Amino acid sequence: MKYDPYSLTELIRNDDFIAWVLHPDEELDARWNVFLHDNPEKKNTVESAREYVILLARDTGRHMPTPQQSDKMRRMVEEHMRREDGQTEIIPLNSGWRWTRVAASVAVIFGVGMFSYWFYNKGSERELGVSSVHVIASREADQMVRVNTAHKPMMVLLPDGSSVVLDPAATISFSKKNWQNQREVTLSGKAFFEIAKDPQRPFLVYSHGLATKVLGTSFLIDASKDDVKVQVTTGVVRVFSVKDLSETQKQKHVEEAASYGMLLEHDQGIAFSKENGEIVKLPDLVASNIEGNNTPIFVFDETPVEQVFKQLETTYNVKIIYDKANWASFPLNATLTGKPFISKLEVICNALDAVFTIQENEVRIKPNPNL
Amino acid sequence: MSVTFEFIKKNGTDQELWAGIRNSNEAAFTAVFDLYHKPLYNYGSKLCSNTSLVEDAVQDVFIDIWRLRQGLTPEITSIKFYLYRALRRRIHVGLSRHLSMEEIGMLDDEDVPHSIANSETILIETESSLIRARQVQELLAKLPERQIEAITLRYFEEFNTEEIAQIMGVSEKSVRNFIYKALTSLRAHRQARLISTLIFWFTLVF
Repeated sequence: MKYDPYSLTELIRNDDFIAWVLHPDEELDARWNVFLHDNPEKKNTVESAREYVILLARDTGRHMPTPQQSDKMRRMVEEHMRREDGQTEIIPLNSGWRWTRVAASVAVIFGVGMFSYWFYNKGSERELGVSSVHVIASREADQMVRVNTAHKPMMVLLPDGSSVVLDPAATISFSKKNWQNQREVTLSGKAFFEIAKDPQRPFLVYSHGLATKVLGTSFLIDASKDDVKVQVTTGVVRVFSVKDLSETQKQKHVEEAASYGMLLEHDQGIAFSKENGEIVKLPDLVASNIEGNNTPIFVFDETPVEQVFKQLETTYNVKIIYDKANWASFPLNATLTGKPFISKLEVICNALDAVFTIQENEVRIKPNPNL
Repeated sequence: MSVTFEFIKKNGTDQELWAGIRNSNEAAFTAVFDLYHKPLYNYGSKLCSNTSLVEDAVQDVFIDIWRLRQGLTPEITSIKFYLYRALRRRIHVGLSRHLSMEEIGMLDDEDVPHSIANSETILIETESSLIRARQVQELLAKLPERQIEAITLRYFEEFNTEEIAQIMGVSEKSVRNFIYKALTSLRAHRQARLISTLIFWFTLVF
């Protein structure tokens, strides 16, 4: 009998299928809908398999503790904490746990001392009713991590003014301590980078053993699939594998000018195999090698400000508040491709004689008070 | 240009919470307890049917984390993964003490031929949801412990094969085999029940 990778049993244990059933997203939906479209005879099998996955997930979670058991465990753990603190008196139960059960307070403590500014996607937070973004910034833990748990793109502003647009599920992290010496971030998932120019400090993105080094440019990295793909929009970037390199070797290659790895110019792209560390050049093209790379080209020729702001709003998922009556039809001439978000705003505000403030995901533009 | 520095105060991620615990932050510790003690208990129940032993093991995992907080590894990718591994170890230590018996892990690493997977019948697709639900329940009641464990970690906890292998201390191939066997007994079970139903109707008719 022939092996059928889409038989009922195979579907039930297929990682991609399980992910689709338990956490459907646009990409998975699209992929499985194409599969169903191409294999209409599999419709019943897929439906059965879906039901089994849901049943298996539900039924293996049926042994949750009762509220009484939960309380008992909590009391025991708490008692140990107190005993350790040297408190011997028994505190009446209903006077309660010293524990603050609001997890949010945790972040308040850690939020202090953060030196960067961030946006978050208010809209999707409301939709989901949960936090769409996790910020990590602890004084002790040096790692800063941003995760986009929303269904929309999320912009992250880096301390140097570079901007990164994270696709849903993408994560970016960097070391706070190191940042002053070297701009280094680690990416998983897909993100579009616009790097602020700084010839003294190269900007490095690590993604599953692939290093992408730039001085100031814009590019897209898709590290969400088996192969990591890099697609350059403007400027020049250097990519190399750091998979089997030692720390010192890595450092050497990072510091070298352009002798190691592969140079990529605009519209060029590569695919990097996570498995064997091979870098393969993708054919140059105008259209993108990476699905869903619809980063707009920010070239404006007598374009009304209103339209420019609309494009910024969609690309970076921010809200721009400005005096529409005065500015909406003001014509702009500018080429902003590849410039980070902040630089784009600076150029536009210069033309308008305006200043901007950023709060959460809102940008307010006002006339320059010094004029 | 002026930029307002705005910080977002939300749930911490794993690294943040972990750093908090290491710095004796009780709120961080509580948050982790609240987040994980229930699913941990659920997982523990698959390893051991003695509920008070499972309760103890879950407590002990947390008590240890707090007690040894200063010595905890600074690098952690997933608190959840850490906790599950710790709980499994706890329960097995507890079990061997209780029963003065070592866990005998029978590893079956032999390859399962692909062809077995293909005897799909049309029957399963036409069965009703109600039958399927009962079928899964019956199956979970009779599967060997390790298969239940692997299934729980895969479908309920949503760990990947690599993580499950590390938690259970077996190879990834074994994990795939556990899950595969569980799913095939689902099918075998179904066929057996179908036959018994047929026999039942046969005896009724004749």
